[in-house]
Amino acid sequence: MVSAATLHVVATELAVGSFAMAGVAFLMAGLASHGWLVNSRHLPLVDHVAHFALAFGLVAMPFAIITGIQSSPGDGIDHPVLINKMLLASAALGLALGVLLARRRQGHDVWLHRTGRRWQTLGGLGAVGLVLMTASLGGTFSRGESLLDIFRLPYDQVPLMPMWLSGAVLVLAITNLVLLRRETTA
Amino acid sequence: MKRSTVFMVVALLLVLPTLGSANPNGVGSGTFDAQCGGACHGDADMNRSSAAIVEVDGPEVAYEGLLTSVSITVSNIETTTSGLLGIFLLSDLSGAGDTPDDAGWTVVSNSEGGTENYVEARINTGQTEHTVEWTLRAPPSGQHLLYGAIHHGTEDGSEAPFFGASAVPASVEVRPVPENLPRLGPDFEPPVLRDVGATTTVVMQTVDVDAVRVEWRLANGEGTDVTVIGEGEAWTFELPATLQPVAIQWRAHLTGEGPEQATPWFTLQSENPSWTVDENAAYLQSFAMVLAFMAGFLSLQRRSSGKATEFDSVMFDSEVDL
Repeated sequence: MVSAATLHVVATELAVGSFAMAGVAFLMAGLASHGWLVNSRHLPLVDHVAHFALAFGLVAMPFAIITGIQSSPGDGIDHPVLINKMLLASAALGLALGVLLARRRQGHDVWLHRTGRRWQTLGGLGAVGLVLMTASLGGTFSRGESLLDIFRLPYDQVPLMPMWLSGAVLVLAITNLVLLRRETTA
Repeated sequence: MKRSTVFMVVALLLVLPTLGSANPNGVGSGTFDAQCGGACHGDADMNRSSAAIVEVDGPEVAYEGLLTSVSITVSNIETTTSGLLGIFLLSDLSGAGDTPDDAGWTVVSNSEGGTENYVEARINTGQTEHTVEWTLRAPPSGQHLLYGAIHHGTEDGSEAPFFGASAVPASVEVRPVPENLPRLGPDFEPPVLRDVGATTTVVMQTVDVDAVRVEWRLANGEGTDVTVIGEGEAWTFELPATLQPVAIQWRAHLTGEGPEQATPWFTLQSENPSWTVDENAAYLQSFAMVLAFMAGFLSLQRRSSGKATEFDSVMFDSEVDL
């Protein structure tokens, strides 16, 4: 029988590998859209690669999370690293969804406008960076070390907001999404 | 429709193996029947006999409602690479309704720092023997049997679950409490867990006791006496702090008009202070962050439309919808 820990490694490699590819493709798309280093004729290719890899990484992410929970010792989230992992993964998930939805709504126009292409590149790279930090936290939790240890990030401190503030942020975000939706359909 | 079917099939294929897998990380200590503790380990149709030897050791005589100790020693241990070994203290081997509580015993503590009949121990590489000790409150008078059982996996994880039980049970004769027998109060519960670095003040109630001597030791080490202050039948003493998460044991010698009694060794486990967080707040913040980041990014991109630049949209003429 395959253990949850082994499946977690498989699922994590799927997710992290896809996000890493998306990161490279977003970087190339950003450069190509500005006409720097990469020829702009490559833009359609790296645009598709970046968004497809990001979407595939998002599909693989829940399996990594489920197997991660099954293979972790103890019950519940009883370690600051686990909370930070969850918060970082949430931020990455939100940002990645935003990047994909923006691409879906605006099509290739996201690359045709100066500000839009910069946000799209930064958004994609930000989502990838957050996922890689999340994976790095997993290494810190299970093996006590990770490549990102050189940055001495404060993994033991949890930036937990009070519930009322989280609720307010949630309401604001939902209102914003509803207004955006209404604007699109109008 | 076709796309969603393929997605569902792939998702099921990824999820089902995790749901169908055994519990290689154990199920954690708890109050379990032999059958429930490991599911397929306790099922005679699925399991295999463990090569380990299980011996249960208990007193011949115990007194109704008073504390006594029972130990299980497992030797010739074979387990998985993670070293997990599940050890049960049971009142019979029927597989269901067989916890000590079902036979009237009360588990007060065990040497792993818990209050359950099932303990999951982590065996070090090369270790061939392990002992777990339970402190129990005796049931009503009569002859009572106690069994030990174990379950575990194999090193390569490919074979059936293994189950083993003690060949001979411990037979304990529980008698009514003799008159004037110095003993612990019926409501006294010894502390089981504490934080590292904290001293523990114990207030012990007794019955028919004139004097008390308390000693403590590190597991199987030399005993050291502590100062005991008595006030009627309540005796107060302090157990020293430990600097590391280790267990200390203590017992009391009770003197009165009846014959002198010594309690079983009680185990007090020190643990690093546990870290807790409001899980609801964490989940809510997590959910809020997903939506906030998504809404924030979409708002930014909405504002960025306007001035088109040098790229020719013909470059994207073979557009693929995401």
